[in-house]
Amino acid sequence: MTNNKGKRKRYQAQNQKCAYLFILPSMIILSVFVFIPLIASFVISITDMNIFMKDVRFVGLKNFLRLFEDGRVRNATFNSLYFTLLEVPLQVGLALLLTVCLSKNNRYSKLLRSVYYLPFVCSMTAIGIVWSMLLDPNMGLVAYWLKQAGLETIAFLKDPKFAMPTVIVVTAWKGFGYTLTLLAAAVLNISQSLYEAAQMDGAGSFSKFIHITVPGIWPTISFCIVTSTIGAMQMFDQAYVMTQGGPLNKTETVVQYIYDRGFQTAPYDLGYASAISVYLFVIVAVMTFVLRKFILSRGEDADE
Amino acid sequence: MKKKLMSILLGAAMCMSLLAGCGNGANNNQTAAADSSDSSAQTGEEQAAVPDAAGDTADAQEQAASGEKITLQFWNVFTGSDGDILREIVDNYNKTNTDNIEIQMDIMPNDQLQQKLPAAIATGTAPDFVLFGVENLAPYVSNDSLEDISDFWDVTGVDKSNFLENVLELSHVDGKLYGTPMQYNVSYLYWNKDLFEAAGLDPEKAPATLEELSEYAEKLTDSSKNQYGLALPTNVTYMQFLWANGGDADDPQTNANLLDSEENLETLTWLQDLMVNKKVSPENITGPEADTMLQAGQIAMYMSGPWQINGLREQGINFGIAPCVAGSAGAFSPAGGCSYVIPKGTEESHKLAAYKFMQYWLTDDILKEWSQRNGFPVWSKTLMEDPEIQNDEVLNSISKATEIGRSYNLGYSLASQIDNDVMIPMFEKVMTGAATPEDALKEASEAMDKVLAQ
Repeated sequence: MTNNKGKRKRYQAQNQKCAYLFILPSMIILSVFVFIPLIASFVISITDMNIFMKDVRFVGLKNFLRLFEDGRVRNATFNSLYFTLLEVPLQVGLALLLTVCLSKNNRYSKLLRSVYYLPFVCSMTAIGIVWSMLLDPNMGLVAYWLKQAGLETIAFLKDPKFAMPTVIVVTAWKGFGYTLTLLAAAVLNISQSLYEAAQMDGAGSFSKFIHITVPGIWPTISFCIVTSTIGAMQMFDQAYVMTQGGPLNKTETVVQYIYDRGFQTAPYDLGYASAISVYLFVIVAVMTFVLRKFILSRGEDADE
Repeated sequence: MKKKLMSILLGAAMCMSLLAGCGNGANNNQTAAADSSDSSAQTGEEQAAVPDAAGDTADAQEQAASGEKITLQFWNVFTGSDGDILREIVDNYNKTNTDNIEIQMDIMPNDQLQQKLPAAIATGTAPDFVLFGVENLAPYVSNDSLEDISDFWDVTGVDKSNFLENVLELSHVDGKLYGTPMQYNVSYLYWNKDLFEAAGLDPEKAPATLEELSEYAEKLTDSSKNQYGLALPTNVTYMQFLWANGGDADDPQTNANLLDSEENLETLTWLQDLMVNKKVSPENITGPEADTMLQAGQIAMYMSGPWQINGLREQGINFGIAPCVAGSAGAFSPAGGCSYVIPKGTEESHKLAAYKFMQYWLTDDILKEWSQRNGFPVWSKTLMEDPEIQNDEVLNSISKATEIGRSYNLGYSLASQIDNDVMIPMFEKVMTGAATPEDALKEASEAMDKVLAQ
């Protein structure tokens, strides 16, 4: 037994060296595109660097102080939170609902699951352009249909009240197929015997769903919630393509404001843009931490 | 977020180094053929970053003497139909020029160019010359990123006095020349003659005053047919309206805030009435959407630059061009234009080659082709005498509308911030009715103080 253990240890040590070799390529890519830029943005945020990169000086926390007085940062933070709080439940809820209907592995469910997955494969830019054409109040198909039906046209993306909800619905529509696929795969892993046992105990389909399906796929659900929350807090492309942050900055998210300060409005203040991105980093980190603490630990409880 | 931001940055930098790498590579090979010792000193990308003035001049003479080929990288923002015409002209230049210059052109949207170019200049991988709107000059100049080309007229022998003073002025910052003008434009008032006739208005008479504009626009609006009298996109500024009543935004010379005035309040009240009560324009549209609707005949009047003309011709719209409307203080229109500029760090021989192309552009033949095919106003004095130009109907109506051109914050390094943080939000709030003209003006004036304080 002991002999065996020693052998395994040596074997593992060798294996580990090998493993580092295998992760080296991704480590290099990650360092170049994630870790180094991450550190760089922390450093840039305490300078007054602009895009011309001349005469860079350290300014301490000046950029951060400016950030807290900037109304547009507050507005953008509100918009990002608003987007996240509505989009994530909508996307995960929709996927969960459809999972119930499509969890059987027959041909029909497989076909529908692939169909729902399609928007996720497409680029957000293309989808954004198509939706803004469809929803255009003057030339769009949806406006035409509403008119034919005798209803008043709504300027979905142009009305300050409707712009953000529209962006949320389009994003959820694009993303739920991916969540659905993950959840459906998890559902298929739940042992059928549990359902049979429940049936014998006289459980209806709703209580089966609540008491067997949901706890069974809880780790996957929480994974989906955490990843889509992080994604939603960093929302950029859909608003950039469909509304450019307008009308009246109602759809301007934090990332969009970062982009605007860094690359759209002279003097292209990279220092300030980086400070906002550090601010967003902190928000996302805190949110992820809290979510993991509450949702994932609950998942572990459920497992036990 | 950082991921995205930095990957954009890095991606841009990589693209640039690829592009520049190719350019320099081609270059080095050619110099290598001419003089191997020279090229060995110049290998690598530092060549562009740290040009050795003396060496380069020698290089230039050598190249001229032996007729060595010079390849110029040229970036521009002409993504529209005018870009095709520009490409034709450049291709033609490549074929016919006797100085063995080859221009490699790269067209990209303005947004993208403005992101790439500063980083390219900072890393010494910029193209040899660039063509962009004069409103972009100031930030580059204040960061010392463009070559001062005040010697252009002396070096090339082009007669400076043949061009309109106000057009040349657009390419100057602090009295120094940083670009050679390529085209000049102001905003015109386009009107759809067929829609005018259908609404019972005289199709040959455009509105001349603010009152007429709103009166006509109301008559021309028919929401049941999805037809609007006037298109006013919300992502732009309307200096022509403020100026018409004698108001203004700021004074770039003295850094003064001129927003908070009775005149501006009057103009904004009129604008809000036009948009919110009379609803003559589609709500919250963007410029490109307005362009499409104008070409589809859904919009009767629209203020825009010469680049509309080709699209309207293609769609067979029966249109007229008039100057922007007048208010109590007269009629004005924001002037703009495009200039060829040379990024800092371009080596001397390439700079001289770019001068040669600019000189070619400033010949009457090319300027005439450009004006006639694109409908841009003529600003060469000898060309104005040309009978063909004088008989061109479109160019004639344009030259009248061009007389009222007025410069707005050009050459002012805070211009882009004033537009994005003060003026556009103010107009948007007024036009959507999100704030009363008084509140919007007050808020904008405070925002302006903040920007000007920098």
